[in-house]
Amino acid sequence: MSALAPESIDDLAATLADASALTRTVRVEGGGTRSRRGRPHEPDAVLSTSALAGVVDYEPADMTVTVRAGTAVELLQHELEAHGQAWPAADTRPGSTVGGILATGASGLSRLRYGPVRDSLLEVVIVTGDGRRVAAGARTVKSVAGYDLPRLMVGADGTLGVIAQVTLRLWPLPTSSGWSRTEGTLTELTELAERWVGHPSRPLAVAVTPDALWVHAGGEELPEGLEHVPSGPARPNGGGSVQMGVPPPALAAALSRLAADDRDFRAQAGVGVIEVAVDDAGDVATTRALATSLGGHAIVIDGPPELREDPFGPIPPGVEIMRRLRDQFDPAGIVNPGCVPWDPHS
Amino acid sequence: MTILRRRRARATRPLSAAERFRAVLSDERVVDSTLERRVYSRDGSIEFGDAGLVVLPESTEEVVACVRLANELGLDIVPRGSGTGLAGGAVPLDGSLVIALSRMTRVLEVDRDVPCAWVEPGVLNLDISTAVAHLGLHYAPDPSSQAACSIGGNVGTNAGGPHCLSYGVTAQHVLAVEVVLADGEVLRLGGTAPDPPGYDLRGMVVGSEGTLGIVTATCVRLTRNPAHVRTLLIDFPTIRSASDAVSGIIAGGVVPAAIELMDRATTNAVEQFVRADLPIDSAAVLIVEVDGDEAAVASQAESAARIASEAGALAVRTAQDERQRALWWKARKSAFGAVARIAPNYFLHDCVVPRTHLAEILETIGQIGARHDLQILNVFHAGDGNLHPLIAFDLRDAEQLERVRRAGDEIVEACLAAGGSLSGEHGVGIEKRDFMRLAFGPLDLDAQARARDAFDPVGRMNPHKILPEGSRCAEAVPPSVARRDVG
Repeated sequence: MSALAPESIDDLAATLADASALTRTVRVEGGGTRSRRGRPHEPDAVLSTSALAGVVDYEPADMTVTVRAGTAVELLQHELEAHGQAWPAADTRPGSTVGGILATGASGLSRLRYGPVRDSLLEVVIVTGDGRRVAAGARTVKSVAGYDLPRLMVGADGTLGVIAQVTLRLWPLPTSSGWSRTEGTLTELTELAERWVGHPSRPLAVAVTPDALWVHAGGEELPEGLEHVPSGPARPNGGGSVQMGVPPPALAAALSRLAADDRDFRAQAGVGVIEVAVDDAGDVATTRALATSLGGHAIVIDGPPELREDPFGPIPPGVEIMRRLRDQFDPAGIVNPGCVPWDPHS
Repeated sequence: MTILRRRRARATRPLSAAERFRAVLSDERVVDSTLERRVYSRDGSIEFGDAGLVVLPESTEEVVACVRLANELGLDIVPRGSGTGLAGGAVPLDGSLVIALSRMTRVLEVDRDVPCAWVEPGVLNLDISTAVAHLGLHYAPDPSSQAACSIGGNVGTNAGGPHCLSYGVTAQHVLAVEVVLADGEVLRLGGTAPDPPGYDLRGMVVGSEGTLGIVTATCVRLTRNPAHVRTLLIDFPTIRSASDAVSGIIAGGVVPAAIELMDRATTNAVEQFVRADLPIDSAAVLIVEVDGDEAAVASQAESAARIASEAGALAVRTAQDERQRALWWKARKSAFGAVARIAPNYFLHDCVVPRTHLAEILETIGQIGARHDLQILNVFHAGDGNLHPLIAFDLRDAEQLERVRRAGDEIVEACLAAGGSLSGEHGVGIEKRDFMRLAFGPLDLDAQARARDAFDPVGRMNPHKILPEGSRCAEAVPPSVARRDVG
C-alpha cells in the first residue's frame, strides 16, 4: 500500500482529484490513534495529514485559533496553555491530530461543561473526494451565514471529504482545576454523580467507573468528601471499545447492568456517554442490546476488524439523505470506502 | 333542471387549490383573501413578497397533508413562524404556499431529568421558560424578540441572544427535531442519547431557514437556573473605551453569561419609555452579567469591574434586586422597538467581527453613517462581536432607502474585510443572500447547494433563500430555480 502525505491544501486537492479520476481509494489518517473505526476496508493507499500541520492564525484575545488539520493536538495545547487558554471540548490523546479528533467526533470528558467537540468548530476547510476545496462557517464565535457544514463534517469519518484546516472556539483555562474521586457501591456512586451534575459550582466533568466516582472541578475549593487525585479515570481496558449513548436519566440502569455483567466502563454522568470494554462480537451485541433497550445506541469506536463487521448498529432515520450527501461530497467514493454502511458505492 | 345543471357544473369544474386545502384542513384555516395574504407576505425585515394561499395546520399529519398537496399542485412552500425574522427568510416570493405553524403551540412533553422538552414549532421562545420555571429550569437562548418569536423560527435561523455568549446558540440547545421533508416524509433527527450513528442531519436542519424541510416538533435542551446571578451596568465616555473593556474582559479569562453594548443614541431612545435610569449622557453602556456559584459570581464580577475601570469606565453599578435587573434587560431588549421614536423604520445587519476588531469596526460604521447622512444606532452582543448596526429611516422616502441600502452594503463589506461573518444569528433569507458571494467562493456555495439538494432534490422548500442564484456550479439547475428568476 502506498503512502500519500500532501504538504499543502492545494497538494491535498490535487492528490484527491487524481485519486478520484483513477478511482484509487484512500484511507485518511491523522495521528493514527483512532484508526480502528468503521467497517473494515482495504484501501489502495493511506493518505496522511501529518504534513499538513501548523498554526495558521492565533489571536488569543479573540479566543479562536486556526490550524491545519494535521497539527498534533499536544503542540496546539502547549501553545494555547502559554496564553491561559484551552480547547476543552476535545478528547486529546497523545499523538492525536486536531483533524482526527474532529473527523471522529471525539469529545472529551469536559463535555458536561463545554459541550461536544462539534460545538467548538467554527470554520472548516475540507477537500472533497473529487478534489474540490470547500470552506464553510466563519472565523467568528457566531455565524449563521449558510448551512452548517462544519457541524456536518464532525464525526463523518472523512466520508464527506478530508478536513484540511479548522478554526476552533477556545475557552479560558480554569484558574485552578483538578480531579477528585471517591469509592462506593455503584448505587451510591450514581446517586452522588447526579448531585454533582447539578452542583452550583458546575463541574467540568463527572465520571463513573465500576468502583469510583470522579469529579473534575474548576473552582478554588476541592469538592467536599472527595479525595484529590493527579489525573482522571482511564479508558476501560479491553480488546476493543464501544461507545454507548443513552438518555442521561438512563445512565444508572445501564451501569448496573454493565456491572452485573462484570464489564469495565467509564461513564459520563449528565451526558449519557458510556465507553465500554469489549472483547468479542458477543460483547458488542449485548452492549448494543442494552443501549437499544434504554433508548440509545452503541458504536464500536475501537477494535480489531472482527469486532467491526457492524460497528454502528441500526442507522437512524435519514439514511437516504446521508447517502446523497456522501455521493455529492465524494462522487467516486474513494475516501474511506465502505467505512460507513450508507456508502452508495459499497 | 336546476339540479341537473348544478351537478354538471360540479362534475366539470375542477376544485380550486383553496378548495382542495379546505378539504384537508377546514374553511377558516385556509386564507385566500387578498388583504389577509398581504399580512403573510412580510416578516420583520423590510422585504415585501407575494403570498399565495396561506394554510394553518395544527398537527404534523396536517403539515404532511399540506406538503403532499402542494407537491401535487406544483406549489413552492414557505414555512412561517411568528414572522419576526429580520432577513426575509419567511417572505414568500411569487405566490408560494405559506404554511404558517402559529397554531401548533403545544408543549408536548417535559422531561425534568434529561432535562428537555418536546415543543411544537409555534410555541413562543419565552413560553418555554415560563412553562418549566417551577422546575428551576429555563431555555437558554434568549433573542430580544423572545416574547414574540417562536421556537420553530428560532430553529430556522439558529437564533442567538444575549446569553448565548456563555450558553451557546440555538444549535447547542436542540437535541432533536421532527421534520417534514419536501416529499412529505417525516423524519426524527437526533435524540436525547448523545452522538447517534450517522451524519449530524439535526445540526444541518438548525439554521436552514426552512429550506430543508418543515420542523414540526423540537426537543430543546433545558438549562438549570444558575444559583447566583449578578448584573452590572457600566458606562463609558467613549465607544472605544467600552469596546476595549469588552476585549479586556474576554481576554482576561472570564466568559460572562452576557456582555451587551448600547450606544448613546440607543440609551436615549430606550430611556424615554422604559425609564430604567440609564446613564444617557455617556457614550456607551455595557450590561455585563455573570452567573454560577457564589464564589464564581463574586470573583467574575470583581474582575469585570476592575477591567472596565482600567479601560476608563465612568461608573459601575450593580443591580440591587431582581426588579432592577429585569428593568435593565427590558431596556436592552426594547431597543429595536425604541427606534420608532427616531424614525418609522429601521434596517439592520447582524455581522460578526473577531472581538479584537470591535472598536475599529464601530468607528468605521460611524463614518459610513456620516457619509450617507444616516443615523446609525448600535446595540449588540459585544461579547460575541455580534454587531447590530441599526439604521433609522423612513421607508416612504425612496431616495433615503437607497442610501440605507448602500450604507448597509458598506457595513457588510467592512465586517467581512475585518475577517467577520455576514450574519451572526438573524439568518441570510433574501436580504443577505447576495452578500454570500462576498463571503464564499463558487465552490463553497456549490457545496452548500449540494448539501441542500440532498434534503430537497426538487427545490420546493423555501426556494431562493440563503443561496444566491447560480450557486450550483453544475449545469443541472433544479426546476424551481429554472422556472423563473426573481433575482
